Amino acid sequence: MKKYQLGEFEEVVLLTVGILHGNAYGVTIRDEIEKLVKRSVSVGSLQITLRRLESKGFLKSTQSGPEESRRGRPKLYFELTAYGKRALEFTRQSRNNMWSMLPRLVLRLQ
Amino acid sequence: MKRKDLPYLPFAFFRLFCKPEWHAAIEGDLIEHYDRNVDTVGPTKAYWKLILDVLRLFRPGIIRSIHFKNNPIMFRHNILLSLRNFRRYKTSFIINVAGLSTGLACVMLIFLWVNDELSKDRFHVNGDRLYQVLENRVQTGHVITRESNSGRTAEALNTQYPEVDTAIMTTWNWGQSKVLSVTSNGTSKDINIDCLYADEPFFRMFSFPLIEGSASNVLRDMTSVVISKQLAISLFGSPADAVGKTVDIDHASQFQVSGVMEVPEESSRKFDIVINFESFRKANKWLNLWEATAPQTLLMLNEGVDVEEFNRKVANLVRDNSNINVRTPFVRKFSDGYLYGRYEEGKLAGGRIEYVRLFSIIALFILVIACMNFMNLSTARASRRMKEVGIKKAVGARQGSLAAQFLSESTLLSLISSVVSVLMVVLFLPQFNLITDKNLKLDNLLWFIPLVAIVTGLISGSYPAIYLSRFKPALVLKGKLESMTLANMARKWLVVFQFTISIVMITCVLIVYKQIEFVQSRALGYNKNNVMIFSRSGEISKKQDAFIDELRKIPGVITASASSHDMTGHNGGISGITWPGKDPEDRTEFERMHIDRGFVEMMGIELKEGRMFTDNADNEKGNVMFNENAIKYMGLKDPVGKVLDFNGDPHTIIGVVKDFNFESFHEPIKPLYIVMDQRSAGNIMLKIEGGKEQDVVERVTRFHNSFNPGFPFVYRFVDEDYKDQYRAEQRVADLSRYFASLAILISCLGLFGLAAFTAERRVKEIGIRKVLGSGDARIVLLLSEEFMKIMFIALVIAVPASWYLTGSWLEGFQYRIELQWWYFAVSGLAALAIAWLAVSYQTIKASRINPVECLKVE
Repeated sequence: MKKYQLGEFEEVVLLTVGILHGNAYGVTIRDEIEKLVKRSVSVGSLQITLRRLESKGFLKSTQSGPEESRRGRPKLYFELTAYGKRALEFTRQSRNNMWSMLPRLVLRLQ
Repeated sequence: MKRKDLPYLPFAFFRLFCKPEWHAAIEGDLIEHYDRNVDTVGPTKAYWKLILDVLRLFRPGIIRSIHFKNNPIMFRHNILLSLRNFRRYKTSFIINVAGLSTGLACVMLIFLWVNDELSKDRFHVNGDRLYQVLENRVQTGHVITRESNSGRTAEALNTQYPEVDTAIMTTWNWGQSKVLSVTSNGTSKDINIDCLYADEPFFRMFSFPLIEGSASNVLRDMTSVVISKQLAISLFGSPADAVGKTVDIDHASQFQVSGVMEVPEESSRKFDIVINFESFRKANKWLNLWEATAPQTLLMLNEGVDVEEFNRKVANLVRDNSNINVRTPFVRKFSDGYLYGRYEEGKLAGGRIEYVRLFSIIALFILVIACMNFMNLSTARASRRMKEVGIKKAVGARQGSLAAQFLSESTLLSLISSVVSVLMVVLFLPQFNLITDKNLKLDNLLWFIPLVAIVTGLISGSYPAIYLSRFKPALVLKGKLESMTLANMARKWLVVFQFTISIVMITCVLIVYKQIEFVQSRALGYNKNNVMIFSRSGEISKKQDAFIDELRKIPGVITASASSHDMTGHNGGISGITWPGKDPEDRTEFERMHIDRGFVEMMGIELKEGRMFTDNADNEKGNVMFNENAIKYMGLKDPVGKVLDFNGDPHTIIGVVKDFNFESFHEPIKPLYIVMDQRSAGNIMLKIEGGKEQDVVERVTRFHNSFNPGFPFVYRFVDEDYKDQYRAEQRVADLSRYFASLAILISCLGLFGLAAFTAERRVKEIGIRKVLGSGDARIVLLLSEEFMKIMFIALVIAVPASWYLTGSWLEGFQYRIELQWWYFAVSGLAALAIAWLAVSYQTIKASRINPVECLKVE
C-alpha cells in the first residue's frame, strides 16, 4: 500500500498534469493549479514536487527544443506514467471508500 | 515584439545556486512568468514577483551540492607540504609565527576588554525597560547635564505619568561610605562599607540576585537592609546565618538584615548594602524641595512605551511641579549609562564607548599589520615556490586546488600562532587586568579563538594564494621570472601602510603622555602635595575644634583644617546668590566651599585682594570670599566691602582669591565662593612634612583611633585623588603604549624578513659588486636605500593623520598642550631608527659576504 502514498499537493500536481494532457510544463501547471484549487503556488515548491514525483516514477519528462517565446530556453513537458495513473486511481478509490463509510449524521451536523 | 530586458541580478543569483541540469527549464518558466507579468501588472511589480520566486527557489533540492575539490588525501598532502616548508624556511616561519601570535594576542586581550565593557549593566531581566532620569540645566549660558534630580521626582513620575510602571529614588553614586558594625559576644566588629539607599521596588526592578530573601519583601520597612554575599560571609560566616541579624550603621542607627544579594561583576555600580530610601528621606528634609538636587531617579517604563514620545512629555516634569524653568529632565536607558556618559551642551558626546571604539580599531589594525607580514613574506618567497607551482600545474593541478594548498598553509600557520598567542594571553592577563583594573578571564574567549585564527589564516593567505596559483606553468618551468613589478609594488605599499600606522601610534602615545604630564604638573593655584584627607565621623563631628587642635600638635603635621570641598571635582553649589545687575532668570550655580579655620592658607591658595578669614569664626559670620572668576562673572568692580544676598542672607565680601583648579582640566574653572562654616566642613585635611609620610600617618592613625573609637581610619592623599581624575586617560595612555610598541614590533618583524629576502635575492649582485671593488658601506647603503624610501613615504602620510587625530583628542581638554612639530619629528625619527635597526642586521650581514662563496655556486 505504501508505494502509492501521495501527499495532498502531490496529488493536486499529478491531477493537473493529467488534465493538461500533453501541454503540462511549469507555467501551465502553475496557472492551472491556481485556477482550479484557488491557491498561489511558488515556482520553487512546484518544481520540487514535480522532480520528486518524477524520481518516484509517477511522472516522466521530455525536454523541448529552444522556444522563441521563452527567449531561447527549452520547456520541460511532464506526463503521467502508468504507475502514476495507478497511484491516482488508488488514492481516489481509498477516498471514495472512506466517504462511503462516513455516517450521514456527521455530515448533517456540519 | 520588443521585450523588456531581463533583470540581471535575480537570474545571475539563480544561475549561481541552481542545479545545472535543471537550470534551463526552470529559467524558461521564470522568464515566461516575468514577461507575462510585465504586460499585466507592470515592470516594477513583475520584478518583485520575480525576486520572490527566485528566493523561494532557494531551497534544498534545487540548490546544487557543493563539491569539495580536495579529498582527504590532498588535504593530508597539503598539511605535509606546509610542515615541510615551515621546517625548510625556519626564519620566515619564526617571523610569521612571532608576528601573527603577537597580533592575535593583542586582539584577544582587546576583545576581552571590549567584551567586558559592552556587557556592563546588561544582566537585568527588565533591561530594555529600565531608564534613568537625567537633567539638562542651563548655567552661565551653557547647558550642563547631570544625573542628579530632586527628591520628589520619582513620586511625580509615579503619579503623573501613566507610561511609568515604577519609579524609585536612590542615593547618588550608589556608594556612600559608612561604618557598619556588628556586636556579638560583647566584641564589636567595624567595617567600612559602600551603602546605597533605594526605594522599596529596587529589587523587583533590577535583577541583583538574592541568595536570601525575596524581591517582593526584602526592603519592606525602614529598618530592613540587604547586604552583599561577601559582607554576609565576612560578618556572619554564611548568607543563611546573616538573615535576621542586627547591624549598626555609623554607630547611630540599627537595621535588620532581611536579605543577602549578589552584586555581579557586570554591574558598573558596586555597593555592599541596600537600605530603604525612606530612612534617608527621614533624615534629610531637603529631599522634599524641588530646588535641591542630589539623589538619582530610576524608572521602569511599561511595555511598548515610545521613549521619544515619553521624553517630550517628561521634559516638563520640573516646570510642572515647581517654579524652576531651567531644568529639563530626560530619560536614558539604564544600561547605556556606563558607555554613553559624556554630554556636551545637552547633547550626547560619547563616554567610555569612545575608548571601546578606539581599542577595537587598534585591535583591527594590529591584526591587519600581522596579516600583512604574512602576505609580504609569502609573496616575496614566491620565486622559491615557482617550480613547485609549475610542476603541479603541468601534471594537472587546477588553480583552485593550488589556492587551497596555500590557504591551508596559512591557516595552519595561524592555528599554530593562535596556540602560541593563547599562551601569551595566559601569561600577560594578570598584568593586563592590573592596568585595566578589571577581572577578565580567558574562558569568555573560547569560541573566539578558533574563529579569529581561521579568519586570520584565510585573510592573510588570500593574496598569496591568488598570486602564487596564477603562475603560468610553461614560463615558470623555463625559469623565466614573470614580471614581478606588480607584486613588488603591492609589497612596498603594504610596508608603507604598516609603518604609517606604527608612526601614527608612536605619535599618539607621545602626545597623550605629554598631555597627561602637563596636566599633572601644571600649577593648580594651590599646593596639593602632602595633604592628607579623610571624612569626619563619630566623635570628631561633635568636637571638631579640639580634634583639629590636637592634630596640629602631632609632630610632622604642619597644620590642619577642614573643608566641605575635597578639592577634586564638582562638590555641589548654590544658585541663590544675588548681585547688582543680575539677570533674574540666571540660575548659575556657584561652587560651594565651606571651610574651617586656616584652610585657605593651608592649601596655599593665593589672595588677590582684600583679606583672608581670621580664626575667630564668630566674627566671620556673614563674610564671604570669591574666586576671581566669580567676580568676573558677576561683573563687580572693587568687590571688597560689597554686600551680596545669599538666599536672603546678606554676606559681605572680604576678599578675592586667585583662581585655582578644583575640577579636572576637562572643565573650565567655575565661579566659587568660600565661607567660614565649621558645621559643613566635613573633610578633615592636614598638611604634613614631606619625606616622613609613613611616621606621620602612623601617629595620626593612632591619635584618630583613640579620639574616635569604633570608626576605622580611612585616609587619602589629595594628590592621589587628583591623579585619579585622570585615571581613564592614564589607562588609555598605558594601554596604547603597549599596543603601539607591539604594532611596531610586528611591523619590524615583517621588515626584517623582507630585508633578509632582498639580501638573499641580490646575493650574486653583491658578490659581483664586491669583486669590482665596492666597499661594505656602499652595499649597506644600496640595500637600505629602498627601505628608507618606503619609510619616508610612510612618514609623509603619517604626520598629517596623527596631527588630525591628536588634535581632536586634545580638544576635549580645557587646558591642553600645543602640538609642536618636534613631537612628529621625534616619533618619525624613532620609527625610522627602529626600522633601520631591523634592516641593518640583514644588510650588514649581506655586505660582509665573501664573494667567492656566493659566486661559485650556480
